Amino acid sequence: MRKKRWVPWVLIGPALLVIVLTTIYPLLAALYYSFHNYNLRRAPQFAIQIGESGIHIDWSLLSLENYTRAFSDSRFINSLEVTFWFTVISVGLSVVIGLFIAVIVQKGGWLHTLTKVLLIFPFAVSPALKGYSWRFMLNENYGVYDLLIDSLLVKPVNALLSLFNALPLVEIPYISESIVWLGDKFWALFMLAMSETWGWAPLIALMFVGALGSIDEQIFEAARIDGANRVQIFFRVTLPLLRPVILIVTMLKTIFSLKMFDQVVTMTGGGPVRATQTINYYIHQMGFVRSLDIGYASAMSYILVIVLTICAALYVALVLNRD
Amino acid sequence: MTKSLSLAKLLETTALLLIIFFIVLPIVWLALTSIKPQEKAYTTDVVFMPTADNFRIIFSDTSVIINAGTERERGEVGRNMLPSVLNSVVVSGATILIAIPLATIAAYAFSRYLFLGNRALLIWILTTQFIPAIVVAIPFFTLFRSIEVFERPLLGTQLGLIIVNMSIVLPYAIWMIKGFVDALPGEIEEAAYVDGCNDFQVLFFISLPLIRPGILVASVFAFIMSWNEFLFALIIGREMRTMQVALMTTSGARGIMWEQMAAAGLVVMLPIFFLAMFIRKNVVYGLTMGAVK
Repeated sequence: MRKKRWVPWVLIGPALLVIVLTTIYPLLAALYYSFHNYNLRRAPQFAIQIGESGIHIDWSLLSLENYTRAFSDSRFINSLEVTFWFTVISVGLSVVIGLFIAVIVQKGGWLHTLTKVLLIFPFAVSPALKGYSWRFMLNENYGVYDLLIDSLLVKPVNALLSLFNALPLVEIPYISESIVWLGDKFWALFMLAMSETWGWAPLIALMFVGALGSIDEQIFEAARIDGANRVQIFFRVTLPLLRPVILIVTMLKTIFSLKMFDQVVTMTGGGPVRATQTINYYIHQMGFVRSLDIGYASAMSYILVIVLTICAALYVALVLNRD
Repeated sequence: MTKSLSLAKLLETTALLLIIFFIVLPIVWLALTSIKPQEKAYTTDVVFMPTADNFRIIFSDTSVIINAGTERERGEVGRNMLPSVLNSVVVSGATILIAIPLATIAAYAFSRYLFLGNRALLIWILTTQFIPAIVVAIPFFTLFRSIEVFERPLLGTQLGLIIVNMSIVLPYAIWMIKGFVDALPGEIEEAAYVDGCNDFQVLFFISLPLIRPGILVASVFAFIMSWNEFLFALIIGREMRTMQVALMTTSGARGIMWEQMAAAGLVVMLPIFFLAMFIRKNVVYGLTMGAVK
């Protein structure tokens, strides 16, 4: 073959240069900032000074203070906890509901096909818009979700409870019909995760539909002949066969969830009382809104980088193992 | 036997209807609210006279609109959203115009040439996707504050946002297009080499025309990505509002004007909706970069 050895570098060069400038530069700069007391309200003093006398490094200006501060900052710890719970709930629900949808829609008549087509709909809704639309629909006075939850869940349950409470046994308290979803610490975080699940469960279902389609039909046939019912087939055949895909999808969704930002801004604004302040949101607050503490924001985002690097390494290992 | 079967069928149909309802409701509700008259927007009524007022309001300059004798207030200081639509179009358009050609030739090289570090570089490019956007935004925020282009700071300009968008769009497009090149059999290229074509002739006259559909799909994904991007638009774009950030201006002294938010939301969503239909078959590939087939 007459392919020339320098050609690939010419073709990759421009893209590589842009990627290095837009990812490696900020990664290095943020790391450098994170060791400084760097607030935009004051004139910054940087450790590396280049002047007439050459390059001078003032080590006294570098410190780990921003990192130690992060781990004694109760609000940062809170943001770690919020992000953790948000990730657990949103990943768990998205993957489980996605799997459920996939198994149902995979084969069948026109209704199944229609559902499969509709699965892509949430993809068209930007995260920022998702946040606003959920906030609107959860409104306790005119929100359609609020109405649905009250009339389809709360009222029937309360009706059952009133029957039970008529018996001379223990009195079970009724569920309140006037929960302010985004005003309650637990429900706000849960609904934030639900809005994420609305966006992702259908897309994850699409991923599983593809994976299910590539499983040899004879395997299911054999299980059916052996007398397995649908539930047994799901747990004994489908689930083990899907395991690699489930792992990859879960890891990918975990990474997306850890980086969650847009909906916090548009749906809850971090509230009530910091209950939905994810890491990204708190970094944004400290770096750009409440204070302009670039050094501290950089340090906290580096902690996030480390967490994500571990997840990314796991993800890459999973994907490469599969090939 | 038949009885339990029909029960299963009933359960399945119910589940399907619930799934459809769960998926479609937020979108339908947004669309409904956008054409509701203001006095109905804050109710769960579904019977009303449709109106285009909300769209008229978000695309007008005045802060108060008189419609049929009733005064209607605009959000904040009555910002017209048309500039924001243009900002989004320009930023997303320019982002793909720069990123896609660069990504295409790079993806081709990654797919067709064996060179030192090929695989390692490719995996490194994949991992740049997992860098949190905030860590990219912070240094570019401070840098763009101190760079002036035509006597205006780069911060808060379309150009600034386009540059930062490269960090997410370019690596993504490389991976995506590489998949399409990989799927193309190499025999035609081999034949062209035998016929005396050089590397660049093969790339531009043989391979590129063949992967054009793939490039189009990648462009659509890249467009959606930068259109829906929010964090960079907020921190780097600032006063140059893209549509995502302009959604926030529907909030005024009396809280969010939901009917205007819904109208703006529909403007944000509709173009992406049609683009998403167009790339329907590639969504799984696009979201997982080929990790799930």
